[in-house]
Amino acid sequence: MSGPHQSAGEAGEPIVEFEDVSFAYPNAEGPALEGVSLRVRRGQRLGILGPNGGGKSTLLKLALGLLSPSSGRVRVLGRDPGEARALGLVGYVPQKTTAELGFPLTVTQVATMAAAWRVPAWRPVPGAVRERVREMLDLVGVADLAQRAIGGLSGGQLQRVMIARALLAAPRGEGAGGGAMRAPALLALDEPMVGIDAVGQARFAELLQRVHRELGVTILIVSHDLRAIAAGCDEVACLARRLHYHASPTGLTPRVLAEVFSHDVAGIAGLAGMHIHAHGPGEACPDTGPVGLSVSAPRGGARGGAGGGAGGGS
Amino acid sequence: MINPLDMLRDPFMQSALVTGLALVALCASVSVLVVLKRLAFVGQGVSHSAFGGIGLAAVLSVGLAGAGVPTGWLTQGGVVEFVIVLAFCVGAALLMAAIADRTTLHVDTGIGLLLVASMALGGVLVEASRKIAEATGVPVGVRSWESVLFGSLASNGWNDAIIAWGVALAVLLTLWVIRRPLVFWAFDEQASPAFGVPSRRMSAILMVVLAVVVVTSMKLAGVVPATAMLVLPGAIALKLGSRMGTVTAWAVVSGVVGLLAGLMCSMAFDVQPGPCIVLILTALFGVAAAVRRG
Repeated sequence: MSGPHQSAGEAGEPIVEFEDVSFAYPNAEGPALEGVSLRVRRGQRLGILGPNGGGKSTLLKLALGLLSPSSGRVRVLGRDPGEARALGLVGYVPQKTTAELGFPLTVTQVATMAAAWRVPAWRPVPGAVRERVREMLDLVGVADLAQRAIGGLSGGQLQRVMIARALLAAPRGEGAGGGAMRAPALLALDEPMVGIDAVGQARFAELLQRVHRELGVTILIVSHDLRAIAAGCDEVACLARRLHYHASPTGLTPRVLAEVFSHDVAGIAGLAGMHIHAHGPGEACPDTGPVGLSVSAPRGGARGGAGGGAGGGS
Repeated sequence: MINPLDMLRDPFMQSALVTGLALVALCASVSVLVVLKRLAFVGQGVSHSAFGGIGLAAVLSVGLAGAGVPTGWLTQGGVVEFVIVLAFCVGAALLMAAIADRTTLHVDTGIGLLLVASMALGGVLVEASRKIAEATGVPVGVRSWESVLFGSLASNGWNDAIIAWGVALAVLLTLWVIRRPLVFWAFDEQASPAFGVPSRRMSAILMVVLAVVVVTSMKLAGVVPATAMLVLPGAIALKLGSRMGTVTAWAVVSGVVGLLAGLMCSMAFDVQPGPCIVLILTALFGVAAAVRRG
């Protein structure tokens, strides 16, 4: 898939920029985010990791323009995030429970919504849009479910449809006119692994890899699941009100994780079965060098769990 | 046994039938969304807010008549009273949307609050209008709450039928024009704003449409039949269909069947058509639920 299907723009161009952003909810005791600066470039996959209440979803809502920062500046494709959203430049995958699954809609109808909601009522949905819908359903592996009722899908199938819908977000002026459609510049996913079993999570990670490979779309994924983030992201941002780390997942140390998760490393989802242990800054790990977070295969033995990791040393 | 052709020969039933079909068009158009979005209580809140509007119109009528202003244009059950009630209900509906959207108060609490406050306000204002009329010697007709609650489809004339179809066509046109963003918003209220769907505008339009449908249906048939027409065709249709197109078609069919059977029962047993329509629709729902289970 290439040409008009690819997300347009120059490689390296900043897609999301946070500059010293703070945000506090009304009547909250403290800020949800404080002094966060980060940049996501075109084609990058940034995983946002952090504990519950650490500000991950808040950061995503700021990037989508659903919230406005208390201070600092957020830009998406050089624009105000609300403007980028209104222009249809962002595809969004919510946690699976947000849709009304009792609606009598088929998979195709749900996917078409995102691409065709701007099409004037007096015009039929253009053929290019219908073709694009078929392509995206095929890409995410649910083409055979196209006529199935949306309420009759499993959690994993539904999540795939939601990704297809997000990839069909139609920039204003595209789709409605019947011309070729491109993928949105940014795909934002909010806790997409919640409620999906381990097999489904692995398939989901593969799917995101495929979407990234074929469409070149920039991905912003929020999760509290370390394995999901480490397996499929170029960079990881660890967030617990402040930004504690923003670099490659292979450089992530147990010390950072302990800091982000307030030393409750055992509670980090996705750590079970991963090789992880503490060592000092700059100290080479005798086993894998930096913590091998990109290695997702479970390791056996006493050192396999997270519990003996950050606190005890290796 | 009533011959359906007798109904068509009776001039009262002719206008009742034409008005009733407008009622079906109005209610069936939003009934599926009302059921899917669990807006039945919103419909109740809006319909009962009408009592406040009726009270306001009554006080205005008596007050202006007392001041020597001709108030023939403000007669009870007339177009101006309808417009005042409509404005009152649209305001109440928008207030409900604002409560749901911008406050931490649960939407049901907000609706309950507006519902009882409007009914109480209506009671106080109607009582006040009676007292002002007695004090000033202005003749004033008394509007019975029964007529508001149950109305009478059979008492509608051709003017009512024309107004009903005018409103119905305006509602149908509005819904047709915004159907794509409206269905997207209704299906996924939380995610659709991230795609650029103007969610607050969709919510406000739906509430205004709902208020217009409720107030018009109330005027034509009374609160109880209007509520039944607003909820039951959608509930029946969702038992029988599994695609948006077929569900909408079933909503219209069940509304028409409820109307025709209700009017025939009304003629056969010489009772008001409103309660007959409500009972027929309730029975149809029972049948649809049984068919679904079977």
